[in-house]
Amino acid sequence: MAYLEAILINVAIYAIATLGLAIFTGYTGLFSLGHAAFMAVGAYTASILTYFYKVPFFAALSLGVILSVLVSFLIGYPTLRARLRSDYFAIATLGFGEAVKVILENFDLTQGARGLPGIPKFSTLGNTYLLLVLAIILCRNFLKTTYGRKIIAIGQDPVAAEMIGIPLLPNQLLSLGISAGLAGLAGGLLAHYTTFIQPSIFSMDLSSLVTAGVVCGGMGSLTGPVTAVALFVIIPELFRGFALWRLVFYGMLLVIIINWRPKGLFGYEELNRKNLPKLFSIAGITGGLSLFMPTYRWVIESRGYEMFALFVAGAVVGAVTVLFGLLGKGLSLALAPVAERYHSLRDRLSEKLASSFGDIGTAPSYPTIEGADSNGLKENEAIREPILEVRELRKNFGGVVAVDGLSFKLSEVELLGLIGPNGSGKTTVFNLISSVYPVDGGTILFRGTDITPWGPTEVVVAGIARTFQNIRLFSSMTVLENVQAALHREGTYSLVEGFLQWPKTVPQVERRLRDESRRLLSIVGLEREADRRASTLPYGLQRKLEIARALALRPKLLLLDEPAAGMNPREATELVELIKRIHRDERLSIILIEHHMDVVMSLCRRILVLNFGRLIASGTPEQIQKDPLVLQAYLGEKAYAVVR
Amino acid sequence: MFIQTIITGLSIGSVYALMAVGYSLVFSVLNFSNFAHGAIITLGAYIAWALMVHYLQVPFFPALLLSMGGAGILAFLNERIAYSTLRRRRAPSLYLMISAMGVAISLQNLLYATIGAKLYALPPVFAMDVVHIGELTISKMDIFAFVFSALTIAVLHQILIRTKVGVAIRAAAHDMEMVSVLGVNLDVLVGVLFFIAGSLGGMAGVFMGVKYMVYPSMGWITNKAYIGAVIGGLGSLPGAIVGGLLLGLLEALVSVSSLGGTSLSTYRDVFSFGILVILLIFKPTGFFGRHVEDKL
Repeated sequence: MAYLEAILINVAIYAIATLGLAIFTGYTGLFSLGHAAFMAVGAYTASILTYFYKVPFFAALSLGVILSVLVSFLIGYPTLRARLRSDYFAIATLGFGEAVKVILENFDLTQGARGLPGIPKFSTLGNTYLLLVLAIILCRNFLKTTYGRKIIAIGQDPVAAEMIGIPLLPNQLLSLGISAGLAGLAGGLLAHYTTFIQPSIFSMDLSSLVTAGVVCGGMGSLTGPVTAVALFVIIPELFRGFALWRLVFYGMLLVIIINWRPKGLFGYEELNRKNLPKLFSIAGITGGLSLFMPTYRWVIESRGYEMFALFVAGAVVGAVTVLFGLLGKGLSLALAPVAERYHSLRDRLSEKLASSFGDIGTAPSYPTIEGADSNGLKENEAIREPILEVRELRKNFGGVVAVDGLSFKLSEVELLGLIGPNGSGKTTVFNLISSVYPVDGGTILFRGTDITPWGPTEVVVAGIARTFQNIRLFSSMTVLENVQAALHREGTYSLVEGFLQWPKTVPQVERRLRDESRRLLSIVGLEREADRRASTLPYGLQRKLEIARALALRPKLLLLDEPAAGMNPREATELVELIKRIHRDERLSIILIEHHMDVVMSLCRRILVLNFGRLIASGTPEQIQKDPLVLQAYLGEKAYAVVR
Repeated sequence: MFIQTIITGLSIGSVYALMAVGYSLVFSVLNFSNFAHGAIITLGAYIAWALMVHYLQVPFFPALLLSMGGAGILAFLNERIAYSTLRRRRAPSLYLMISAMGVAISLQNLLYATIGAKLYALPPVFAMDVVHIGELTISKMDIFAFVFSALTIAVLHQILIRTKVGVAIRAAAHDMEMVSVLGVNLDVLVGVLFFIAGSLGGMAGVFMGVKYMVYPSMGWITNKAYIGAVIGGLGSLPGAIVGGLLLGLLEALVSVSSLGGTSLSTYRDVFSFGILVILLIFKPTGFFGRHVEDKL
């Protein structure tokens, strides 16, 4: 029994650590090779406190968690701020892991490489599992909040996340902090279970185990990694003779999974009724394999034929696997009605809970587009200056001058076209306005304020939203979640409330965000696709979703970068109607880059033409179409001479 | 004493450079950090050990060449098995890195499980011989490692600028898609690339085995070669050389210095990683690296 308890406790401890890494790697998309170091910090802090200072267990654990989080900020702040690419960040964490080990080895309080023996055995089956369940609930709650969506958005596409106004550093640090805190908790529990720690325990091997758990369990999932790491702890116990081969096996599994099944066990979904059969089959194979050797030996002893014994043992493995698989299927079917009832019960309960707090109908007011409109109109009359003014804008890439002294003004509620041959610098102008690139010269004034030195998220907050030439959606999120992620500034509850899914505030705000997202989707005609995964949408609809996501930022100015690219004439006509509609209804100022001339000509009263980063013409569509410089730029000088 | 330290630094730095070149070559074309390179280097050293000590008594030079060939083939297989699927699917570089880590973990522990954790010595080729120049004592092996590393990198440089394959590799470093459109077989190109990187790694492994010992976790040292490659700028050949040498020198200097009475040599590795982090913060592209930007 003690043996079984040991395995179970180990499962819970490693599951907590893996849960942390699942948030950081699986959701935020950052790779850490030094997670064992956070476990070490938690383990040493808690052990020193309980061992030398007789601090109560849970207080010591908490202090270990806090210190792990602080240490993670210490390493995370400089490295994440520098925006290291993912492999540089990984090697930096590897170095950090090594540094922590060296420090522990040379530090008096930690008794160096000899380690700390005689730590009180406080971790029990009860408290480890209680903490595991608590950790899972808190993580799950967190991911369902606006804070969680920000982190997931960054994991899917950091550039797009920034372009919807999500600053990377604070959110990545938050994710790292949660992750390190859980690792520290796991470390503290581990120390108080094994009762002896030394620096070498917290090695690369431990980090690898946790990483393997996340990758094999599936990115973007909590229960997947927990299940996977549980199997990783249990399986080697079943094959005691192969202890040395354990890590060989993990490594191979990493290669196999990432190459041929990158989704892992439950990638981008959680353990649910539908994938129960899968889980049971895996458990069946594991259980079956563990019976292989005993059966084999038993048959050899009683009959003595090797071939026969192999056959019987193989049959047992097969039978157990099939049996478990069937059991899983049966259970999944049997649970179907229960699940349905549970879901409806849960919905009703949450509704009741929310309504018991009263003010469900009176959602606090937030800046709706309608509200902004009337303001915008008044301002339009009051302020005579243009909404956007670009003066002498300049950008070089190496020797190439992409934008060369461009100046233009955009009045309030104008729909301006920006055209030009390929490589004429149109998208670069957008990238400069939205602060993706720093400018090399000139100024950008938005509503009279110089926004040239601002960062991308500040520009978004000020009211400039954009779409991308190469679509950049959060592809593993649903259509609805893509828009919800962009509404992050309206998630007006605190992080603590989010973790607790505080019934007084969170459900209401979340419902409001959902309703608002649906409304924005209906503007672009995507309300029926709300629950589809964004990556499964056809191309034309993905472009519309990008527009809906941009609208969710409550922009004053919308930059549309080739919204009609890759659309057929019918879709392009629809798009023209859509742009006209949002321009009219939301009274937005819009700059439109487009190659479909029909689209530009039918939408814009004024068009700017760029060539080699310079403004070569501007005027009404009719003027542009006759302009000799424009014709030359598009047709080439010789062809133009012929045409003329 | 100071010059002695410099010489030690240069000799270890040259081996770092040899390993760093392997990282940089792969990075320049495939744009990911091949963390399995360390395992290939280790296996190169083990091949030399098997040839020179365990099974046969092959002399040093044939053993060196065979180890290089063997490590090259292993690196080639490594790519075929662990990266080619991801490469064709254009998976994010995080995936390639995870796969590389899987290979590294697997191979290193395969050595523990089969050959064991014991340290093995390679026969002292020159290690016992030293040259005295004035007050300096320089081991011949160090000189040999330095000269041979330098020669090999020079040959590689010539290959890259003069041969057809070399031109293709350099072109692929700029734009892999374009190169494949122009009719270069990417599978062959990447195969050659990994073979070259692997055989350089094999050579470095043998040098390290002679200088120190052969053991399963010797690949750990290659992490520092990686740091060298990053300092110089990943993906750049001169960067890898300069970075490797620089790191070797700095480490040698740190090892002999002390702070407030305590020797800093225990903190040497921490120091290397510290340099890495500081450099990455202030100059993430290293000295010679190029900046890659996403097209929006």
